[in-house]
Amino acid sequence: MAGLSGILEWAFLVPLLMVISFVVVGLAGTRLKRLEYGGWIAVLFAGAALVVGVLVAAAEMLSPGQYVNVQYTWFQLPPAAGTFPNGFRLVAGTLVDPISALMLLVVTVVGFLVMLYSIEYMHHDRGLARYYAELSLFLAAMTGLVIANNLFEFFLFWELVGVCSYFLIGFYYEKPSAASAAKEAFLVTRVGDVMFLLGIFLYFYTYALAGPGNGWAASGFVFTNGNQPFLAGAMGGNSTLLTVAGIMILGGAAGKSAQFPLHVWLPDAMEGPTTVSALIHAATMVAAGVYLLAVTSLFLGFTATDQLLIVAIGGFTTFFAATMAVVHSDIKRVIAYSTISQLGYMVLAVGAGFAMVGLFHLFTHAFFKALLFLAAGSVIHAIGTQDLFKMGGLRKPMRITAAAFAIGGLALAGIPPFAGFWSKDDILGGVYSQLGTHPLYWPFFLLAFAAVFLTAYYIFRAWFLAFSGDGPRDPTLPHAHEGSWVMQVPLIGLSALAVGSGLLIFWPNFQSLLLNGAGAAGIPPVFGPTDLALSGISVTLGVAGILLAWRLWGNGRVYVLPESSWAQPVRRLLLNRYYFKVGYDWIGQRGVYSVARAADFVDQFVIDGTVHGFERMFAALSERLRRIQSGVVSDYAAYVVAGLIAVFVLLLLVAPYLVTLVGGA
Amino acid sequence: MDLGSFAGPFLPEILLLAGTLFIFLLDVVGVRSTERVGAVAVAVTGLALLFVIADLGFAPLAFLATIPAGQIDAAGTGSALYAFTSLGLIFQAVFLLATFLVSLASLSRPSQDRGAPIFFGLLVLATLGMLLVAIASDLVFLLLAIEVTSLATYLLVGYTRKDPRSLEAAMKMYVIGALSTTLSFFGASLLYGAYGTTNLAAIAHVGGAGGVPVLVLLGYGFLIVGLAFKATLVPFHAWAVDVYDGAPTDVTAFLAGGSKKVGIFAFFLVFLAPILFVRTGTGSPFANGAIALGPILQITLGVLAVLTMTVGNILALLQKEMKRMLAYSSISQAGYMLIGIAVGTAPALAGATLQIFAHVFMKGAAFLLVAGVTAWGIGPLIDDYRGLGTRRPVVGVAFALMLLSLAGVPLTIGFVSKFVLFSAAVQAQGYFVWLAVAGLLNSALSVFYYARVLRVMFFEEPAAEKFPAGAIVGGSGPSELPAGGFGYGRAAAIAIAVIAIVAVGIYPQPVLGAIQAAAQHFVAVGA
Repeated sequence: MAGLSGILEWAFLVPLLMVISFVVVGLAGTRLKRLEYGGWIAVLFAGAALVVGVLVAAAEMLSPGQYVNVQYTWFQLPPAAGTFPNGFRLVAGTLVDPISALMLLVVTVVGFLVMLYSIEYMHHDRGLARYYAELSLFLAAMTGLVIANNLFEFFLFWELVGVCSYFLIGFYYEKPSAASAAKEAFLVTRVGDVMFLLGIFLYFYTYALAGPGNGWAASGFVFTNGNQPFLAGAMGGNSTLLTVAGIMILGGAAGKSAQFPLHVWLPDAMEGPTTVSALIHAATMVAAGVYLLAVTSLFLGFTATDQLLIVAIGGFTTFFAATMAVVHSDIKRVIAYSTISQLGYMVLAVGAGFAMVGLFHLFTHAFFKALLFLAAGSVIHAIGTQDLFKMGGLRKPMRITAAAFAIGGLALAGIPPFAGFWSKDDILGGVYSQLGTHPLYWPFFLLAFAAVFLTAYYIFRAWFLAFSGDGPRDPTLPHAHEGSWVMQVPLIGLSALAVGSGLLIFWPNFQSLLLNGAGAAGIPPVFGPTDLALSGISVTLGVAGILLAWRLWGNGRVYVLPESSWAQPVRRLLLNRYYFKVGYDWIGQRGVYSVARAADFVDQFVIDGTVHGFERMFAALSERLRRIQSGVVSDYAAYVVAGLIAVFVLLLLVAPYLVTLVGGA
Repeated sequence: MDLGSFAGPFLPEILLLAGTLFIFLLDVVGVRSTERVGAVAVAVTGLALLFVIADLGFAPLAFLATIPAGQIDAAGTGSALYAFTSLGLIFQAVFLLATFLVSLASLSRPSQDRGAPIFFGLLVLATLGMLLVAIASDLVFLLLAIEVTSLATYLLVGYTRKDPRSLEAAMKMYVIGALSTTLSFFGASLLYGAYGTTNLAAIAHVGGAGGVPVLVLLGYGFLIVGLAFKATLVPFHAWAVDVYDGAPTDVTAFLAGGSKKVGIFAFFLVFLAPILFVRTGTGSPFANGAIALGPILQITLGVLAVLTMTVGNILALLQKEMKRMLAYSSISQAGYMLIGIAVGTAPALAGATLQIFAHVFMKGAAFLLVAGVTAWGIGPLIDDYRGLGTRRPVVGVAFALMLLSLAGVPLTIGFVSKFVLFSAAVQAQGYFVWLAVAGLLNSALSVFYYARVLRVMFFEEPAAEKFPAGAIVGGSGPSELPAGGFGYGRAAAIAIAVIAIVAVGIYPQPVLGAIQAAAQHFVAVGA
């Protein structure tokens, strides 16, 4: 298929199309009332991007294992003697390889369907031109990130993804809760971003300056050298620094992918439109974190310590987030917690050394998670509430939605042959095969296993609450109805993918696509139900979860936990989300802000106080001087003396002492 | 040497001097309108800028070159008061650019404004002093040149004579400036005592071998303090915020975009030579009768740099007024620039120079924009900018680009300069890596206060819509912005700045390459 492979060099068209869409809709959207304020234009561009995305993925799948790198030098630093023999440059370029092709497919498919679905879902909202423009930019940023060929460009798009998510989560910015959720998402992921930046910096420092990695830095952090990926093992470098660099990258990924302890922002990000949630949870924002981990794992490699840490974060988050999903009554929040939990599985897989398996789960998850969100959106669109306890009996008026949600739920719960089963089973099997690596792998493996049961329980609790029974518990709700074809097509399409995307694993070409992504790094991939016993247990857990949900909530039943029950404190703990948000707010208010205020205090009172002391001294020296000058200026003069003394202490005492300690430059 | 070949290289300076005198002459004969006087200032600075760019070797303008090629970057003879270095010429270009933009923008002020000849005349005069700083190669010449520009700026700050805040600011600046000049000259006299010369090239030739250790250290110490005032380094920054806040905003644009950089370049000139006095090996820097001056100065300047950017950033975070926030942000930017000389390698100087170049467009233009917006009746608080981005999208986007560039967001010039600067610090290894880390963390911190302005501009409803028009609740701006924009001059200045921010951000190589080459020569000649 040499003919089709030519498309791989044109992958940049995908982000470019979406940028054009952003510009066109942003500039002209408000004047295009007939076209849903530019919505249909955005759909058109997203469709074109989808075509390119599918062609790229097809070209890569039909002859797997191609690395097509196109790049231009952005700017260059000259070589300097000794420390920097090869100089350094930043490049702008695209790299299409098995993993970016896979991701490009996910983002363009989900992006297009969400865009189409928005046409009806958002119809009654204000500010639609802004919405479609921002959504276009969001997709541009994400697809740009996916095909970035170097770490710096990756970071650039990463930040752009963050900014777009800030805008979109805060879309209903008149609502204080939405504005605050947007800010929270921005701030929390910002913590991760700073860590990511430090991580890049450390990789730069260790690989650029300390040994054979010099070529890598000189080339501008690119992931590939011709058609060979750069590999950590080949580059050397100080292993302690590399471990710290890996931890920083993990921090960045944890921020974006809402992993413990930076998970708090994602459930609150529900304040944005449901379509945005679908996009964020399935294909864009949170996927970026896992993608970063996978790319780093494949191209740069993690040290064993990092891997253990990643396994721990992933495994723990999987369970931790699932427990919170069990008690919530907001349909979107339940799905949000499930996203955090599922991302935990992906992180776990990367940590255990199976980056491609993690990406396989990302691939299947994108479809069934988008499906769940759009189905939930369909419900919300129809009856105008997100409270599960007000819903009920919706399966009759909304057959397609009910079926779609059920398919998504079965995929999420890991029931074969739905998509989630294949990828989740691969992860569990993979981690199982690595249990000998370190004894600490065990507890996190068990947590991840236990989460299978919780997952099946909470998602079917939501299904039974919303769709089973005779009718809504809140009789004031409007009569439910299915949306038009614009909303149904994405639901049906994603339902098909929620079944079929997992089965792709039986296609040899898809297998070798995953193999080629991972095989180059020398990591044995795991495919299919390698261990039947393991699969049996996980499916049994899943079915048990569904049965429990049916027992407690099926047929319109509502289970009320007795007030005297031992589980009440646990329930309260879960409802309050382990008090994490309260804690962070406290740290933010009392910690960060008070440091700033303390600095202000020092500036105003301590320094000024000292200054006033000097001032009195000056005043005593010359009453006359004081009469000419304003008090404030004599403050400054005293300030000068204080500063002078400080500089001389630094210059004459501190600096020579430090020079003695560390030696000359 | 005939007069022509002596005076030729000074054509830009002569042009500015003539411009100043001509403007004052216009005042005497009664031509006082902003447009006419301003046009003279714009013309002379623009023309001088073209000469300097030609001297830098920009081929299409080669016919305007005034300095024979052999005189640029020639090794110092140890006697001359001045020397033409390509880095110095780049700084001349930066200074002229700042003045050019400020004069251009000031054309848009009401034509009946009193004091236009004084404003433009002093502006050009101050710029003349700055050009002289850029070619100085002798301590006394350098400090006198700084005085020329300082005296003009004191008057500039208070030129309106009506506003007590401006007058107070001018008074403060004068007292502090006089004090700092005294300290600088005292330091220079100590160095003269130690080295027997005030010529910078001669001091560089003597190297670490000569000099009386105590006098050398004290001399450089006083110079650090004296120049730290000009460059607004912490803890000598306190005057700057009051002055930036109190001065007429167009003057503030000049102070932040132009005259402050004089202090930074003076640091380059004075401290490059001693920083290159390195004695290898460990142990006390005072061992064997000589001093390893380099590391001591580098650590001192490095600490000042970190202190300046951190304190500037933290205090900027707390400001409620736009001008004060920008003023503190200026202080923190001075910290980044100081990294260049603390590291002292050619790439680091190049990074700092690019940062200074960028700062003209980011901060200078930001103040120009604030001045224009203030003329619309928008108040001094950051909250007064509510909804500006939605009411005036072009102005909002321009301001946003400047702030994003200040924050160092990629695809803006601010990103390129910070990247070059920090990677140079990494490249120098050793404890300089920490300067880069401090710079990175500070950049991340600074995003918060810039982002706050963006949020206010684009995501918050204008206060005027919340309250009935004319109500003084919240002390905010007018319910209706006046029709029309900033006026052509100001709009053009801001447009130039925005184009530069984006163009150099996307395609930095031409500017970056020129600056890198100049920095290489500067270090090679200075060593």
